[in-house]
Amino acid sequence: MSALLPDVDDPVAGPFWAAAREGRIAVQRCLTCGRLRYPPLVGCPDCLGRTYEWRDLRPTGTVWSFAVYHRALHAAFNGQTPYTVAVVELDDGPRITGRVLPGAQPVVVGDRVRASFESVTDEVTLIQWQLL
Amino acid sequence: MDVAGKVAIVGIGHTVQGELPGRSVEENAVDAIVAALADAGLAKEDVDGLIACKSAQGLGNDVAVGELLGVNPPYAQCLDYGTCNFSLHLAVMAILSGMAETIVMSYGANARTGKVDFGAPLGGVDLATASGLVHIAGPAALALQRHKYLYGTTDEQFGWIAVGQREWAGRNPNAIFRKPLSMADYLATPYLVEPLRRPDVTMISDGGVAVVVTTAERARDMPHTPVYVSGIAEQSGVRGAYNPDNLLRPWLRDAARSIWTKTGLSTSDIDVLYIQDPTAVWSLQMLEYYGFCGIGEAGPFLAEGHTRPGGRLPLNTHGGQLSESYAWGWMHMVEAVRQLRGDAGERQVDGAGVAMYCSSQAFSKAAASILSTDPAVAA
Ligand SMILES: [Zn+2]
Repeated sequence: MSALLPDVDDPVAGPFWAAAREGRIAVQRCLTCGRLRYPPLVGCPDCLGRTYEWRDLRPTGTVWSFAVYHRALHAAFNGQTPYTVAVVELDDGPRITGRVLPGAQPVVVGDRVRASFESVTDEVTLIQWQLL
Repeated sequence: MDVAGKVAIVGIGHTVQGELPGRSVEENAVDAIVAALADAGLAKEDVDGLIACKSAQGLGNDVAVGELLGVNPPYAQCLDYGTCNFSLHLAVMAILSGMAETIVMSYGANARTGKVDFGAPLGGVDLATASGLVHIAGPAALALQRHKYLYGTTDEQFGWIAVGQREWAGRNPNAIFRKPLSMADYLATPYLVEPLRRPDVTMISDGGVAVVVTTAERARDMPHTPVYVSGIAEQSGVRGAYNPDNLLRPWLRDAARSIWTKTGLSTSDIDVLYIQDPTAVWSLQMLEYYGFCGIGEAGPFLAEGHTRPGGRLPLNTHGGQLSESYAWGWMHMVEAVRQLRGDAGERQVDGAGVAMYCSSQAFSKAAASILSTDPAVAA
């Protein structure tokens, strides 16, 4: 099995993965200009501030777009098709892309979702989206 | 500096596009260079510049190509993959600055027989890739789904890109996919990454392509009608994921504004249009951003048939990457030159005098060029 797994010890993204393991969505907030940013980045691309804190966001949002993989385009996803990946605009602003949990209904843009935290190894927990 | 009419494309060459087992990226690039030099009536010693564009694996740079071609041109440079238009722009700048007078630009690939894994993540694994958002088809499908939501674009409207290009490819002996594809066939094709079907996504093929560029003065003594560079523009989006709505590549609109302003031309001046197409979504976006139709109106515009054979805006008349071959947009430029020379055979567009080539490097850069047999078209 050649699963695609993130480096949860990455010096920049590590706290994001640690938060996910604890069932939270945490993103960086620039201490200079106050903007939230995701994906994790070492500095603020708006004001170039290098100091930041991690801020927990509400786990709810709206589907901005989605795509349904009918074929695995990487061996790690063999046997998982069809699966849906959605860009979710969180109620607190940032957009986070993750897998949609299989549900009774097909996804449509604008659907409300809530984060679900799916542990795939002892160290890696993926944020997935549950249709509300 | 105004570039209009000062530099011209005088040679085009390419290998067979398809499967070239056992051949290196550099062999394919050099074979294409030899063909392009022959087309221009030049020997390798006549070239004082080499711009080599890397393959998807990062091979085929100027050092590797120069070694096999056996030249030490005063000017040699290398650009990343997928950068034919950017290579042309660099060649124009090098020539106008006096760094070189005659430049050959090359690209070689063996991605098909080399079995390059285009689903492998390009950087580290983040939440999106770990969730299965892999291959360029993924983000393109997200962009298309958003377009459908915003503007009501239908599968059938969007499908006219792939179907239309297959119609063109049927008239192109170089094209790899020539089997007719009707709209019914298209709609019956299963989704690959919904809402994209297999015909909406580039094929993978091997091959080399090369283009020779020189000054307008020298071009007049060459065997073929010179194809002048009438205008060039670029716009980066290298802020990447931190651009608002980057999946929709809003910075393409700035590339468009730049080329129309610089040339004083407008969409109605364009006889044949080329859009680099790793996926058909790129064509959908660029038709809108460059102003060939309104924002959100590409679906109905395509359904009216303008881009198909016989339409008023022939698009990717060689079949593009969806039907002709996978040459990172290099064959788009070759085809533009063929059309402007009047050498496009069965698919020749009557009176093609001005061509436009719009390309992008996925989610980071855009480039546009306008080419014409009239050196004064944008002057
Ligand atoms: Zn900041």
